[in-house]
Amino acid sequence: MNDISTWDVARNLADGAMWTLGLSLCAFVLGGVSGLALLFARIAKRTWLRRLAQGYIEVFQGTPLLMQLFIIFFGSSLIGIELSPWLAAALGLTLFTSAYLGEIWRACVESVAKGQWEASASLALSHFEQMRYVILPQARRIAIAPTVGFSVQVVKGTAVTSIIGFVELTKTGSMLANATYKPFLVFGLVALGYFILCYPLSAFSRRLERNSRESRTH
Amino acid sequence: MNLVRIDGLHKHFGSNHVLKGIDLRIKQGEVVALIGRSGSGKSTLLRSINGLESFEDGLVEVDGERLHAGQTNLRELRQKVGMVFQQFNLFPHLSVGENVMLAPQVVKKTPRGECETIARSVLDKVGLSEKYDAYPDQLSGGQQQRVAIARALAMQPRVLLCDEITSALDPELVNEVLAVVKTLAAEGMTLIMVTHEMRFAREVGDRLVFMHEGRIHESGTPAELFAHPKTPELANFIGSIN
Amino acid sequence: MAYSFDFAAVLEYREVLLAGTLRTLALTATGTVFGLAIGVLGAVSRAWRIAPYDKVFAVYVEAVRNTPFLVQLFFIFFGLPSLGVQINEWQAAILAMVINLGAYTTEIIRAGIEATPRGQIEAAQSLAMTRAQIFRQVVLPPALRKVWPAICSQVVIVMLGSSVCSQIAAEELTFAANFIQSRNFRAFETYFIVTAMYFVLALLVRQIMIRGGRRLLGGRRA
Repeated sequence: MNDISTWDVARNLADGAMWTLGLSLCAFVLGGVSGLALLFARIAKRTWLRRLAQGYIEVFQGTPLLMQLFIIFFGSSLIGIELSPWLAAALGLTLFTSAYLGEIWRACVESVAKGQWEASASLALSHFEQMRYVILPQARRIAIAPTVGFSVQVVKGTAVTSIIGFVELTKTGSMLANATYKPFLVFGLVALGYFILCYPLSAFSRRLERNSRESRTH
Repeated sequence: MNLVRIDGLHKHFGSNHVLKGIDLRIKQGEVVALIGRSGSGKSTLLRSINGLESFEDGLVEVDGERLHAGQTNLRELRQKVGMVFQQFNLFPHLSVGENVMLAPQVVKKTPRGECETIARSVLDKVGLSEKYDAYPDQLSGGQQQRVAIARALAMQPRVLLCDEITSALDPELVNEVLAVVKTLAAEGMTLIMVTHEMRFAREVGDRLVFMHEGRIHESGTPAELFAHPKTPELANFIGSIN
Repeated sequence: MAYSFDFAAVLEYREVLLAGTLRTLALTATGTVFGLAIGVLGAVSRAWRIAPYDKVFAVYVEAVRNTPFLVQLFFIFFGLPSLGVQINEWQAAILAMVINLGAYTTEIIRAGIEATPRGQIEAAQSLAMTRAQIFRQVVLPPALRKVWPAICSQVVIVMLGSSVCSQIAAEELTFAANFIQSRNFRAFETYFIVTAMYFVLALLVRQIMIRGGRRLLGGRRA
């Protein structure tokens, strides 16, 4: 038991970090795709579609991620599907991510000046063409910084999936802490692992934000 | 007796020498208008008098409070020098009455009741006693500027600095502010103002100080200066504004 | 084989749910009060570059914002005792909440302070106010009012995040849920109801924060 060296700890944590990274990427990509669908629903002409999307976003932003994971995990077994922790984690984080990205992107679309809608409408573009050629290209530029910023929340959110038994960085850390009796070292390294994953994203998002602020004032 | 004394004031912004040795004496009760083109250093000079701008060399003295180059303890001096800004700079989270009472309360530790009396009397002086409970964003620009004057007066300053106080106002609101300044001048308040309102400067000013490229180029009574400019720069300046 | 839902089996435990709810609220309230205090100190240190605290807070903010709350909690609860610091689950949970909110509010309030127009500070200087007086009277109140909506959102996010405190056996609302479903074997119903409770709590806490902010910060109109 006690012959686990610091090197072993680090190597195991690195393996765990790979799962964290994989889950983050998966949730971010799938969450981005469904977030885009959500965005379109959120700004659709049909009221019921807008309401539905808004309700979805409010539920996922207004409840704990851990509860969402529990409900998916236990709810799926009720309808006879046994989800593995990996699938439950990926599904839960994807839904969570889509709600946030949908909302972030909606704010970006709405921050495009009203005059752009009016100008493109007076050129006889359809709603879809307005979105496709005028609004979205501008909204996309505004959206990059907050989207990158939110990716940090996704990476950190993956830690919660350790609670439903998905073995990623945090879960690996818990197991190692129990095995080595060195919780301070192990959780210190776990925290460092997350920092290494998240800090570049934070710093990048901050730089994008600064650049866009400067380009707006010039 | 001189209330304000400025000796050999030098100020740089980076490599830009904006004040090149200013000497100026201002008597108690005098109304002085600093005039000149933008960039001539008149605003910087005004802001040096209460230490909003630091300077590298020279001396500012107001009513016995001396300010040397590089000095940072400005509390005593600033209690004797009031200032009114172009952009009013009222505190948006405080009501009119609270704006006026803030400094007497926290700086001078005047009891609250007394502060209220002071506030009501200075607001009365600028004709806004009925706005005591209003907030700045409920007032017109002219009213805001009059509150700003009242706020400065509440500290009972020996001299009042006015930095282009009508420049941000719509034309129809300029006169109500100038009327207040005129009353103050008539009551014997020492005033130093940077202004573009030449007619007002001529009418109210005891002395005009024409600044050009960081120096006091000419100074004298409005009548002298406007009738007989001694230098081509001043003649030019007068020509450009008429 | 159709599953028959039994939500009554959860409501039998309403006292456990109530106790958990109150503890979650207490945790949130304590975290908010102390977190805001740290946030104000951190924000002014950062915005006005008060050495050496500006650097200390910069490191603190980055460390907290780039690591998960759950890991911070484990580090405090399991890590600190190995350094000889005795800490129980409640102290650990509260400490983690305060540290977390302190870091986020530092950044939020800093943005508010940095948005103060220069003229406001000059006007206060001209009135002979000291730096401390200027901060307290002129800079902080409008800054807090400006960023209050962001602070409210952050408090709600952190309250929902406090759900993971159940993992160190702090007996808050999620812990109550875990306890109940281990007794009644109705996991789905239990978590469904508790999720709904969190949803209501989030709305409630946001309303309380917005109203409280309006009173404390004297926001007359929206």
